[in-house]
Amino acid sequence: MEEKQIIENFLATRTEEAFCALFEAVCLRLRRYFLLRGLDAATAEDLTQNVFVKVYRQAGELREADHFYGWLFAIVRHEMVSYWRREQTRVEEVGLESLGDWLEDGLMAEPEVMPALRLTDWLKALEPAERDLVVLRFVEGLSYEELAVALKLPLGTIKWRVFNVRKKLARVISASPAGRARHRIN
Amino acid sequence: MKHGIAELEWNDYLDGRATDEVRDRIEAHLIGCLECWEFYEQMSGATQELLEAGEEARQGLTLEDRQLHAMLRGVFARLGTTEAGAAAPSCVQGQLNLLETVLAPFCGTQAAVSALHAAAENSPAHSLDRVTPDNWEPFLKKLTAIAAAMCGETFAGLVWESGQF
Repeated sequence: MEEKQIIENFLATRTEEAFCALFEAVCLRLRRYFLLRGLDAATAEDLTQNVFVKVYRQAGELREADHFYGWLFAIVRHEMVSYWRREQTRVEEVGLESLGDWLEDGLMAEPEVMPALRLTDWLKALEPAERDLVVLRFVEGLSYEELAVALKLPLGTIKWRVFNVRKKLARVISASPAGRARHRIN
Repeated sequence: MKHGIAELEWNDYLDGRATDEVRDRIEAHLIGCLECWEFYEQMSGATQELLEAGEEARQGLTLEDRQLHAMLRGVFARLGTTEAGAAAPSCVQGQLNLLETVLAPFCGTQAAVSALHAAAENSPAHSLDRVTPDNWEPFLKKLTAIAAAMCGETFAGLVWESGQF
């Protein structure tokens, strides 16, 4: 079944079976978003699960499959922001105490190795909001209309921001070894 | 706006979404303006690099079925025991339906249903309506063995693959 059909089926029936199919179709994209936003694999999976709990419970709010990805990534971004707020609070509470059990456990856990990606280097040169735009547009392939829904901004603002982030990255990329090599070839 | 070309027009042009009028105007300008041509070269090169890097990220960040299903179980656990209890059989029902559609063309609908019942009765579930994700694997092994006896090893392999959560 195609992705669009899976989404339409879930929105129309909202059965657990349709939800399972939706999860299989979309889960990878959400986890990837969180990883590219700098989270470790365990946290990315944890937040992905939280998002799907919300999708399951709030699917009644959405009727049109065309708006699904905008709606979905609005939830994803909200989850990301909530996570950073919780982390900020925790960092402030923990202060300079010695390593707690939770942190020692984290250090002992074997982390999943993130593959070396050009994109992760480039994203470091951007502000968080700009990273969102790049990941959602150039990795997840969201349309400008979907981006407007996900980021809750007017369409013109989205295009203007994409243009500016592209301009910023053009400088970063042309200064990178790959960019210089491409320039020489051209 | 620089040289009569607005940023949004540049953006649409780089995406290949500019109107005919805007595209013609930009291209006519690019022929005679080295500064804008260099700007265009840099921006289109960066766009291409970004698209390639996006593809690289999609290829590089994948998820194994094992991880996917562990995460799905986690979602149902978070939805609460009531919802999870209701959800799990529905997922199982979907898999059972799938297996029936795999079996039926080879051995007939009646035999397919009988094979499913026989596998369940000879597995820890003891009956088809008590098959759950937790006792799915022994059930599927029994069904695969039955399929092998009915239609051979190749077909049994298909059943085994189709039955994976």
